[in-house]
Amino acid sequence: MQTAYENGTGPARPPGSTWRTTPRPPLVRQRQGKVIAGVAAGLAAHLGIPVVAVRVALVLTSIPFGAGLAVYVFLWATMRDVGSVDPAAVTPPSATTPATAGPAGPTGPTGATGASSTPPAATTTRHPIDLAALRTWLRSGNQAVLITLLGVAALAVAGALWLGSAGLDVHVEVILPVVAIVIGAIFFWSQLDDTDTLGARRPVRWIWLVVGLGLTILGLVGLLVRGTNLTELWQVAGAVLAALVGVAVLSAPWILRLWSNLRVEQAARIRATERADIAAHLHDSVLQTLALIQRQSGDAAAVARLARAQERQLRSYLYDEGARAGTLGAALTAAMGEVEDLHGVPVQLVVTGDRPMDEHLDALVKAVREATWNAVRHASPPVSTYVEVGPVAVEAFVRDHGAGFDLDTVPDDRAGVRESIIGRMERHGGTARIRRRADGTEVELRLPVSQPHEPEHPSPSAATAPDPPVPSSATPPSGTTSGSTPDPQTQEQAS
Amino acid sequence: MTDPRTIRIVIVDDHHMFRTGVRAELTSLAATPRAGGFTLEIAGEAGAVESAVQVITQEQPDVVLLDVHLPGGDGHGGADVIRACAAVQSRAAVPVRFLALSVSDAAEDVIAVIRAGARGYVTKTINAEELLTAIGRVADGDAVFSPRLAGFVLDAFGAAAGEVAEIDEELDRLSAREREVMRLIARGYQYKEVAKELFISVKTVETHVSSVLRKLQLSSRHELTAWAMGRRLL
Repeated sequence: MQTAYENGTGPARPPGSTWRTTPRPPLVRQRQGKVIAGVAAGLAAHLGIPVVAVRVALVLTSIPFGAGLAVYVFLWATMRDVGSVDPAAVTPPSATTPATAGPAGPTGPTGATGASSTPPAATTTRHPIDLAALRTWLRSGNQAVLITLLGVAALAVAGALWLGSAGLDVHVEVILPVVAIVIGAIFFWSQLDDTDTLGARRPVRWIWLVVGLGLTILGLVGLLVRGTNLTELWQVAGAVLAALVGVAVLSAPWILRLWSNLRVEQAARIRATERADIAAHLHDSVLQTLALIQRQSGDAAAVARLARAQERQLRSYLYDEGARAGTLGAALTAAMGEVEDLHGVPVQLVVTGDRPMDEHLDALVKAVREATWNAVRHASPPVSTYVEVGPVAVEAFVRDHGAGFDLDTVPDDRAGVRESIIGRMERHGGTARIRRRADGTEVELRLPVSQPHEPEHPSPSAATAPDPPVPSSATPPSGTTSGSTPDPQTQEQAS
Repeated sequence: MTDPRTIRIVIVDDHHMFRTGVRAELTSLAATPRAGGFTLEIAGEAGAVESAVQVITQEQPDVVLLDVHLPGGDGHGGADVIRACAAVQSRAAVPVRFLALSVSDAAEDVIAVIRAGARGYVTKTINAEELLTAIGRVADGDAVFSPRLAGFVLDAFGAAAGEVAEIDEELDRLSAREREVMRLIARGYQYKEVAKELFISVKTVETHVSSVLRKLQLSSRHELTAWAMGRRLL
């Protein structure tokens, strides 16, 4: 929706044509670039006018009679949140957050400065009160509510001054309770909007509810008592409380039922979305491949290749290998996949350990790929590739079952082995060895690596020292969290 | 040839097509004389946990080819079958051996079924001849490690990072020799090739592999489970 709006205001397009060419985005509250509840941003996107204009209009119309404020509250109550319309639209905000940091700017700085009265002290961590937590509480909470409160206060003062200057009798005992009620309602309602800027759910802050409820009750009592008679105060307060409790008791079952219905609906929607995702993926991948296989069913090699490629893709989808992007394991999987696709010979790849890619590892991957490529072309399957990521070196073994070849008999013009494997490894400080065996050839590559990037590979002595928790040597970067919890039992046995 | 015994097997898999395929492949291959010195008799098939337990108890096979994912039971598939049949013995009065056969390479599947008591884990892409060899090995009480399972073991025991047990009995780490054997298996070596490479007998290789299997089943090394939870096999 945001993008549609941005397209609409693009300089290349005459403003008149945007109304026809781009469909108008739905009227929903935006999460990106919102200041209070995203009403202005949503309105601007819907109408195709700059958000600043909407905000200025709302503020200007609020000043005399509060009409803008009323409109704002009305829209807030009636406009749906952006996520509740199209579940697929929930992802873009978080995905494009860095890109939209500019538009979201007004919110960030305001919140930061609004809450920055405490930060200097927050750096002293040993303060009895957790200032950092207080700061994050203030900040995540709601610069929006703070801004609204300031607005209400300013409005009240302005209204009182205006009424006073108009010669009307200003009843402070009426205005103060009304302001209290409004502020309490804002506190209370602010918890309705239980998603933060990034679209993540945030927990309901009960303190806000309590403060809001308290202010509202105080305001109601103050309004009824009119500030004069103290003896009546307790009676009225009791009456107000009783009424509120009665309403709460009566409405509780309905609210609970609504809430649980909502939960059920939400769960169903999430399931449906997931199902749609999976169905889309299967359709794009598996069904297409099956159709291809049926058309080429005469060509056994093609069928095997298609099936193998599809299997690999499906595995990477199921086992979420995208999470390992940028690591040696992922690079090797991709390289072996290429070799398989090009030649239709399955390659058995086993990798133990993992580490992030760098240029030397890139050379290793290329050498492994070349060796495997040779194996599938000149030898017979099974072709096995084993890569072991150790603390001081990465070792790779590519094994085939062919007749093998003698390096000395390989003509010099064949750059494959000499240059792409041995030369490449040596340039990067590694070694390459080619062993001829009775039933095949094995290429052994070894690349020394610098000290581990993370303390996940213990030195051999670390395992015997009882003091520090044994770092999970077996846990690759992706699993550091699961492996970092020390197990006393294992410690004992290891030491 | 030397030992013309018969190995009776039960195939447990919820895919009927797969059972038929395995049966056809194995029977055609087991009929040829070079099939590893034993004949094969397929005693039964099952497609779910309950029926598998019933067939295994009734038929008392030597080896069960077991799919990891099966309907029924407590929801743990093959592991449930192994636990329910723990006391069942074959007609030769040795415990029924289980060989896990799965399309899944996920570590939690491997670890669950091995720790439940399976003596081997191979993927369904294995060719029929290798499968036959694996069946013979499991029937003898030895362990069958695919390259992937070996890689998993090296990773989970920290052996790839250089952790080696000082004494062989230590459950939480591999001995230097076991590590060598596992590395060669991960590199795609057959048992006899491993033996040749390390100048030991095939029987010794089998002993080492069985010992690793025992460690895999008994170790309390927390990485085994943490690893299995946090990561899948490549």
